[in-house]
Amino acid sequence: MTLLEGTAIDLAPATSELLAQRAVEARKLVIDMAASPRGCHLGGSLSVLDILIAALHRAGSHDGTQVVLSKGHAAAGLYAALYVSGILPENPAPLYGQLGHPYTGHPGPKVPGVLFPTGSLGHGVPYAAGWALARRIGGRTGLGIAIAGDGELQEGLVWETCQVAAAQQLGNFVLVVDRNGGQNDGLVQDISPLPNLAERFAAFGFETAEVDGHDLTALTGVLRADRSGARRPLAVIADTVKGKGVPAVEGKPGSHYVTIDAARAAKWKRMIR
Amino acid sequence: MTLSGRDAYRDELTRLAADDPDIVCLEADLGGKGHPFQAAHPDRFFNLGIAEGAMIDMAAGLAVAGYKPFVSTFAPFAALRAAESLKLTLGYLAAGVTVVAPYAGVSGAWFGTTHHCLEDLAILRSIPGVTIAAPYGEAETRAVVRAAVESGRPHYIRTGRNALYDSLPVDSAGIAGVELPSVTWEHRGTPGSTCLVSVGEEGTRLALAARELRPELAHAHLTYLDHARLALAAPELAAEHTRFTVVEEHRQEGGVAEALALLLPGCHITGVNAGHSWPTQGGDHHEVMGQLGLDLPAVLAALPNH
Repeated sequence: MTLLEGTAIDLAPATSELLAQRAVEARKLVIDMAASPRGCHLGGSLSVLDILIAALHRAGSHDGTQVVLSKGHAAAGLYAALYVSGILPENPAPLYGQLGHPYTGHPGPKVPGVLFPTGSLGHGVPYAAGWALARRIGGRTGLGIAIAGDGELQEGLVWETCQVAAAQQLGNFVLVVDRNGGQNDGLVQDISPLPNLAERFAAFGFETAEVDGHDLTALTGVLRADRSGARRPLAVIADTVKGKGVPAVEGKPGSHYVTIDAARAAKWKRMIR
Repeated sequence: MTLSGRDAYRDELTRLAADDPDIVCLEADLGGKGHPFQAAHPDRFFNLGIAEGAMIDMAAGLAVAGYKPFVSTFAPFAALRAAESLKLTLGYLAAGVTVVAPYAGVSGAWFGTTHHCLEDLAILRSIPGVTIAAPYGEAETRAVVRAAVESGRPHYIRTGRNALYDSLPVDSAGIAGVELPSVTWEHRGTPGSTCLVSVGEEGTRLALAARELRPELAHAHLTYLDHARLALAAPELAAEHTRFTVVEEHRQEGGVAEALALLLPGCHITGVNAGHSWPTQGGDHHEVMGQLGLDLPAVLAALPNH
């Protein structure tokens, strides 16, 4: 991890143990959604969960930080993370994909805690940058945090935004990459690899940090700074495991979209630690 | 001296921003040097560079944060390159973002077809909830910009390039908080006459030119072109006439003539528009329109001879 600009701020006391408990609960909810008639994007929802929980924890400091899940296909993970973080008031799992409820396969702004519709990949990144710009114009604190997938980085809109964010010196813009190595049709390295990713962001003028994307202490640490005085945006490359927590699917591109029956869901949930 | 549509936009927004600190102005490298908003409000002016999609999505973030972003780039790049961002930001999110799109139609003329935009109404009209305006002349452009600021709703405002047009008299155009009428009657015509329906800058210019030669014609000018407002305009048109010829610098598909034909099935509606061909030669704005069959002879030929 590199040394980052900005000053650490005091957060409401919440231990990594509490966040780990949230992660366990959220993973079980994601499995419940995979066991719905619709199924869900299981692998990416499980890989991004710890990042989401850490980012929402930062947003919970109520300093104006907003979190945008740009890889909107991981909606099941987002709904679960919002619920266990106390932002979403109802358990989304039994309602997921059902008529009359907003928990669609990609998230929309009718869901509490979701500001922007995402799922067309790339768009959540500039949305969050716009939020960061708004905070800066108003002289306010708070980050615009976008969480993108590594496959999503194939979208030109992401790099278009990186160019703009660097030019505008949006130090309060943070792009977290859930680097799980998979995408819809297979492995990122087989389809459109991303060598020297940190160097790419650095070349765009970003600060960079590389963390274990399942280490909640590391994630909260890298996201906790007050960056209102920073002049370079921050890219956090978080290495994750697709399908994290379910040994049967961990690291397998085939876990991208999964529909399972109730018996298998129960078995998988017992494995979650 | 009047101002072009895009200059009127810049001037009006700059003026409004003096009293409204929430207005921010975004450009994608096509705002030109000496932008008056940049000079007057440099802390709220952002040239984001050649990044149309990012600009509109970032505007969504600004709008959600409480600002009133106005973003501008040429119509072909706003409506086509950034179409998905328009759908998500203006449509699904209903963010209070105003997109101001000059160089609509073939006002880009000799720059070539990459700088032409004859498809924007079709795209924007298919996104529910977006207010679409194609003002004619400085006064109407200023009124449309004011209405966009006051409404907080998503807007797409279509203008041409640098051409100047004398505004039609509109009683409410200068009144803050008062929207322009659904239909501006330049001339109500005689009973039974054909009614020209003009859309946008050049459509209105051609309709006015046609009426000089055929003064018995009626002429209704439409400023707002989205479905909701055309649905308000349609019964007002049908209350006075049954035969309409719509003049618009746009393709037939997705244009206003098509929309009115669906809204007024009992009326006879024809259109003078850009047709189905692509300009392949240079020339100025009117010459390229002529290549498309969008000129005064075409308007006159579309009218009955009674």
